[in-house]
Amino acid sequence: MPGIDQVLAQAMGIPGVLGAGLIDWTSGLTLGTAGQAPNGDHEAAAADTAEVVQAVARNATFDTTGAAAPALEDLIITAAGSYHLIRFVHTAFDSQTYLYLWLDRAQANLAVARIRLRDLAAGLVAS
Amino acid sequence: MGLPPSPPPGPAGLLDRCAAARVTGALRGPHGCVYLLDGAVTWVEGAAAPGIEVRLSAAGRVPPQGWRYAVETAGPQRQGGRFLVSEGWLTQGELEICHLAALLDAAFFALPLPPETTSFTPGTGHWLGVVRPISAGDLQRATARRRALLDRLRPWAAVDTQPVVPAGPGAPAGTTPRQRRLLAHADGRHTPCELARALGQSAFVTLLDIRRLAAAGLVRMPPGGLPRRRPGATPAGHPPPGAGRGRTPTWQPPVPELLDTRDPDVALLVRLRTALEENL
Repeated sequence: MPGIDQVLAQAMGIPGVLGAGLIDWTSGLTLGTAGQAPNGDHEAAAADTAEVVQAVARNATFDTTGAAAPALEDLIITAAGSYHLIRFVHTAFDSQTYLYLWLDRAQANLAVARIRLRDLAAGLVAS
Repeated sequence: MGLPPSPPPGPAGLLDRCAAARVTGALRGPHGCVYLLDGAVTWVEGAAAPGIEVRLSAAGRVPPQGWRYAVETAGPQRQGGRFLVSEGWLTQGELEICHLAALLDAAFFALPLPPETTSFTPGTGHWLGVVRPISAGDLQRATARRRALLDRLRPWAAVDTQPVVPAGPGAPAGTTPRQRRLLAHADGRHTPCELARALGQSAFVTLLDIRRLAAAGLVRMPPGGLPRRRPGATPAGHPPPGAGRGRTPTWQPPVPELLDTRDPDVALLVRLRTALEENL
C-alpha cells in the first residue's frame, strides 16, 4: 500500500522526469520531494507552483460542470527546456494537495507523463 | 576591513528554540497543542480546526466506533495511525495526507506559541503516533504563507467570528463548488469555524472562502463591519481623487441591497458616506 515516498519514487521512473513533489496548495508546504527541483530549491518550487494552483482553484471559470465534485484534474506549464505538470490529488476527506512533476522536455513524452501521474495520484488514495 | 557583520537573527520563537534543542514532548498553548519528537513537529491539535477524527468521520472513512478501538489499540506504543491503515480504513498515502492537512490547519490557529502562557510536558506523544514529522521551520513558513493569503482579504475580517448569513437565496454563478456547499449550509447561526467542523473541512480554507464570499457581496457583513476606506487610499489602477474629475465611484458596498433598501434615510446615508469617502 503506497505512501507518499513510494509514490514519489515511482514518479521518478516516468521518462524524462527531473524531480517530483507532493505539495499543499494553500500553504506551499511540501509533504514530500524526490529528485531535483528548478534552481535546486524544492521549497521555492513548491511555493511558486502553489500560487499557480491557488489562482486556478479559486476561480469558477475552470469549473463549468456545476457539480459538487472537484472539477480540476491537471495543469500543464510548457517552458523552454522543460514541462511542469501539476496533478490534483482528490481525497474522500478534505485536503488540498497536488503532485508536481518537473520534466526534461527533450526526454519526456507529455501524454505519457500525464497518464502515469494520473494513475499515481489515484494509487495514493485508492483503498 | 571586511564585510560588515550580518545582522543578528531575529528573536527566535519558543517553537524554534525547542526545535533547536531537539526536545520531545508537548507544548500546550492557549489555541492548541504542538507535539514534538527530537525537535520535529509530529502533531498539532486545537479547538478551532477539525482534527483527523472529524475529517475522516465526515468522509465516512472510519466507522464511529473505530475511533475508540484505534485509541485503545494505540496504547502506550502510540501506533494509532498504523492501526487505521491495518484495518483497511485508509491507505498509507491517505493517512499521511489527512494527517498533514489536519496538522497544518491546527497550526494556523495554534502558532505562534506565546512563551508566557505555554506549558511543556516532556516525553509525551499523541496516540496517532509518528506519521510524518515536519520541521518546525517548514511549518512556520507554511503558516506564514497561509496568513498572508488571508491578510489580502483583511477588510472582510469581521465575518471570521460571526454567524454566516448568505446575502440572498440560491447558489449564485461565479462560485466554486466549495463555496456553494458553504452557502448551502450557512443558516445564520453558525460561524465559519463551526461550519468547518460540521462539514469536516479545513477551518483555514473555510475562513478564506467566507471572506471571499463577503467580498463578493454573497455573505452579509455583520453590523458595523462595513469596510472603511483608508484616507488617501485609492483602488488599484485608479488615479487619486481629483486627478480624474467626473469619474464614476468605484466603491461597492459589501451588501448590495444596502443601496436598494426601501428606507430612504439609510440609502441616503450610505450614498453620503460613499461620496464622502471618495473625496477623503
